[in-house]
Amino acid sequence: MNILKNILKLLPEKFAYAHCDIPCGIYDPYLLQRAAHTIIRMTQLLTELSVADQKKAAHDISRMTHVKEEHVDILEEELDTLRNDYFKEEHFAQYPNLNDLFVKTLKAASKARQEINVEAAQEALAGVLEIAEIFFKTKNVEPVRVKSVYPTGGEIVLHK
Amino acid sequence: MLLLAKFKVIGHSMEPLIKNRDMVLASSLFYLFKKPQIGDIVAFRDTDKILIKRVTNISKEKYFLEGDNKKDSLDSRKFGFISKQKILGKVICKL
Repeated sequence: MNILKNILKLLPEKFAYAHCDIPCGIYDPYLLQRAAHTIIRMTQLLTELSVADQKKAAHDISRMTHVKEEHVDILEEELDTLRNDYFKEEHFAQYPNLNDLFVKTLKAASKARQEINVEAAQEALAGVLEIAEIFFKTKNVEPVRVKSVYPTGGEIVLHK
Repeated sequence: MLLLAKFKVIGHSMEPLIKNRDMVLASSLFYLFKKPQIGDIVAFRDTDKILIKRVTNISKEKYFLEGDNKKDSLDSRKFGFISKQKILGKVICKL
């Protein structure tokens, strides 16, 4: 079984599409950014959690971890949609760091999922903000970073 | 033709069996001596992309392919029957 697993690992990963592929043109990095902030917030709450009441703490850990997991799922799905459906070859040529940015952001999000790690969650947000800026530039609008109104205190990218 | 290929599936049209971001294994070996059958899930080429859908009808060596999630699938209901040459392989399993 281990030999088979290793062979499967060595196979290059390709993409196969099973989406509706109706060219609706509705793309927006809003959900992506909200998910990244939520991952940070859940990680912060998990870090600050009081364990004085063990039963309540166990309950809260379970709920916060669940929400963190859900939002890493959203973040991954939104990144996939932008990477595979929205951004085209010419965008990747125009922004040569774009693919690396996706890889880096997905890795940071994965780490934020596996651990209670604020730095990884912040790194995921940083990548998301850069991707959002590139997205708006490809739409020929000027991206602008503003302070979010979220308790995370971080920024979000809007456009003028 | 795919001797053996690993695909990350993007999209929801094959749900509930294959979900978005699931990994699947596909191979063309199954179709060396046998034709695709109704019920097979196949990987096939559509212009610049590889898609996966299920064979739901066969007529005169042409294949009608549909997503399992019929409410959210662009498939043969829109683009019609496809030829066997476009079919790259059979989806064998989820990883």
